[in-house]
Amino acid sequence: MTNIVKVQGLQKSFGKFKALHDVSFTVNAGEVVGFIGPNGAGKSTTIRTLLGIIHRDAGDAKIFGKDVWKDSLEIHKRISYVPGDVALWGSLTGGEIIDLFMKLHGGGDKNKRDYLINRFELDPKKKAKGYSKGNRQKVGLIAALSVDSDLYIFDEPTSGLDPLMEAVFQDEVEKIKLAGKAILLSSHILSEVERLADKVVIIRQGKVVETGTLDELRHLTRSTVTMVTQGDVAAMATVNGVHDFKQSGNQATFSADNECINDILSEAAKLGVKKFESVPPTLEDLFMRHYEV
Amino acid sequence: MQEKFARSRVLFVQYMKRDWKKIIAWVIGLGLFSAAFVPAFEEIGKGQGLRGMYETLQNPAMISMVGPTPVENAADYTLGAMYAHEMLLFCGLFAMIIAALHVVSHTRKEEDLGLTELVRSFQVGRQANSLAVIAEVVMINILLALVIGGMMTGFGVDTMTAGGAFLFGASIGMAGILGAAIALVMAQIMPTSSGATGSSLGIVGLLYILRAGTDVSNVDFSMINPMGWTYLTYPFTENNWFPLILAAVFSVIVVIIAFALEGGRDMGAGYLPEREGRESAKKSLLSVPGLFTKLNKGVMISWLIAFVIMGAAYGSIYGDMQAFLESNEIMSQMFTISGVSIEEAFTGTIMMVMIGLVSILPIAIVNKLFSEETRLHLSQLYATKVTRAQLYWTSVILAILAGIVGILLASSGLGGTAISAMGDGSPMNMWDFFSAGYNFLPSVLFFTGLAALVLGWAPRLGKAVYAYLGYSFALNYFGGILDLPEWFSKTAVQSWIPRMPADPFDAATFITISVISVALMVMGYMGYRKRDMVEGA
Repeated sequence: MTNIVKVQGLQKSFGKFKALHDVSFTVNAGEVVGFIGPNGAGKSTTIRTLLGIIHRDAGDAKIFGKDVWKDSLEIHKRISYVPGDVALWGSLTGGEIIDLFMKLHGGGDKNKRDYLINRFELDPKKKAKGYSKGNRQKVGLIAALSVDSDLYIFDEPTSGLDPLMEAVFQDEVEKIKLAGKAILLSSHILSEVERLADKVVIIRQGKVVETGTLDELRHLTRSTVTMVTQGDVAAMATVNGVHDFKQSGNQATFSADNECINDILSEAAKLGVKKFESVPPTLEDLFMRHYEV
Repeated sequence: MQEKFARSRVLFVQYMKRDWKKIIAWVIGLGLFSAAFVPAFEEIGKGQGLRGMYETLQNPAMISMVGPTPVENAADYTLGAMYAHEMLLFCGLFAMIIAALHVVSHTRKEEDLGLTELVRSFQVGRQANSLAVIAEVVMINILLALVIGGMMTGFGVDTMTAGGAFLFGASIGMAGILGAAIALVMAQIMPTSSGATGSSLGIVGLLYILRAGTDVSNVDFSMINPMGWTYLTYPFTENNWFPLILAAVFSVIVVIIAFALEGGRDMGAGYLPEREGRESAKKSLLSVPGLFTKLNKGVMISWLIAFVIMGAAYGSIYGDMQAFLESNEIMSQMFTISGVSIEEAFTGTIMMVMIGLVSILPIAIVNKLFSEETRLHLSQLYATKVTRAQLYWTSVILAILAGIVGILLASSGLGGTAISAMGDGSPMNMWDFFSAGYNFLPSVLFFTGLAALVLGWAPRLGKAVYAYLGYSFALNYFGGILDLPEWFSKTAVQSWIPRMPADPFDAATFITISVISVALMVMGYMGYRKRDMVEGA
């Protein structure tokens, strides 16, 4: 797997405020990396550093093996970016802006552009000042997706889109992932990251606090089990690996350590199981856990 | 009624809190400018100074620029009369412009930036904001009037009575209120904030040109002109408060019209209709130069038209100049002695004035690159193969071209009308006018370079370049009158440049200033290349 993006020990301060303490992660070809964190954690700052918009104070940041500041022109020829806040020139129409972005990129696929405008249900004749937030975002997304790049960076790409359009976006990302492109996706919508991302990087207060695949991350936390038994379910409360036991009648809900699943199942079987539901931790659970500590 | 203006007071207080620094700079800056020249004028007035000045200012060319005086003969021309004659119109003009810009920034501009939407979602009446802004500006101008009046009385000059001083201050304050009223209406009509600013300043400019004409031919017509009411009060001489009453009534009517218009329209829209859009971009748009040209098109076209009109307006005066000379012995002696015709002398001065104004356009174009940056319009572009060099140099070169065309239009306007006004006996030809104008090209390049330097190293100071332009302009304009020490007047870049065709062309100065300007642009690029982009300020 080729390293498309390699960030190591990135640091950045704005005056006295240290925005990035120590950010390290990689993005490989054909991989979607979800970049998540609370507001103000440093996601957009990291992305802007990667794009050469701001200059890092220390650390390494390379895309395609080249330094992001010194060789930014070379790098930019092969990347697409959609910023978190898509601000457009009010007097130009969506169609004009998309064409402009594509041309300044060095060319794009006109058929793909038309196809995407259709798929995202955007009215290209409307002046940008008349667009809602979601429509402005569509303009940014269409412009980025119509260009053939090797790395795509999306900062909060679906924050204004309705669920239908979100699904369209996810479908398009799947397509480029299958085509072997690298994708860095920064988002608050954890369910979406869960669906799309192969790897997750969690950043908090300028530092990467967790990296790994979802499976790896899930392994470290607990599943939520809901069960109904024939016998008295209270017996489950004392089983090894059971936490936060709550009971109402014969239904019990608790968190279960993944290592102790076998013991729990054996105990449960003794009671006669009528219903057993185990939900793996959502990204939100993982996220909140880091947030609380 | 209650509902429309709800929470006006809260907004008013908010504006006070937000703007207090600006208000202090505004009142003290403009106040000092208007009142503090008294000692300098006392100097000039010594000996035969007053008489000499009176004669000079009877020249139609001077009246067109500075305004008229009611004084009938030189003996009655007191220090007070001279001060009011020379200062009042311009100070009023500045007050008008500053107030207009301020009003647009707190109304239309905030709508465009989406701030109004947030405020309106609270229990704030639809027109509460306009009321708060007008109240703020009125208060500021009242304060300004008092400060000016107080300062001038403080000088204790005999012919400058307290009553006259406060009338002087009030005239300037009233000019500010007029400017604010006009801007408030234009903010309702125009679809964008730049449209509102442009049209307000355009109206102010138009009023100025109209009054230039009527002041020379028949002062009574100037009384119809709202701008006329700001200086036809003739402080220290006739002390006429009536024009101010007219101005006040007019302002109230205009403001009421503005409120009515605001009540009827949607937020974010003007009354002028939007035009339909294109589905695909025209080829001309599809490049960095194409984009920037389109972004600056409105500003460029309006200013370039203004330059032609301004040139033409001043050019029309050339015809009267000869007549004036022939009627007045003293003047014809003064001017023919120095070996230079009155038209040539005037050309040098008026060129300096016009080219100073032409410099505004390139500064605006360079500054636009920064405003695009902070508004996040360029975010997605930073990640393409468009380089910072392309963005920077496209803006700078566009600015330079705009400056060059601006000089061309101003000179053509001036020369064309001047020559046709002077007829067959014209001492000057078009070449003289073009060379007089292009002689000032280095100063335009200098201001462009300065704006570029600031863009690269301290982008938030972009507006400060205008302040320096204003300062240089004022220095040059009043420099001759005030007899400033040479080193002081040299702090303005235009002072270094000879005024053609009266003075000979100085190649060394021309080249040096141009080279310095280009150096500034290159230094600006070095800063722009390395600094962080300011996204979302």
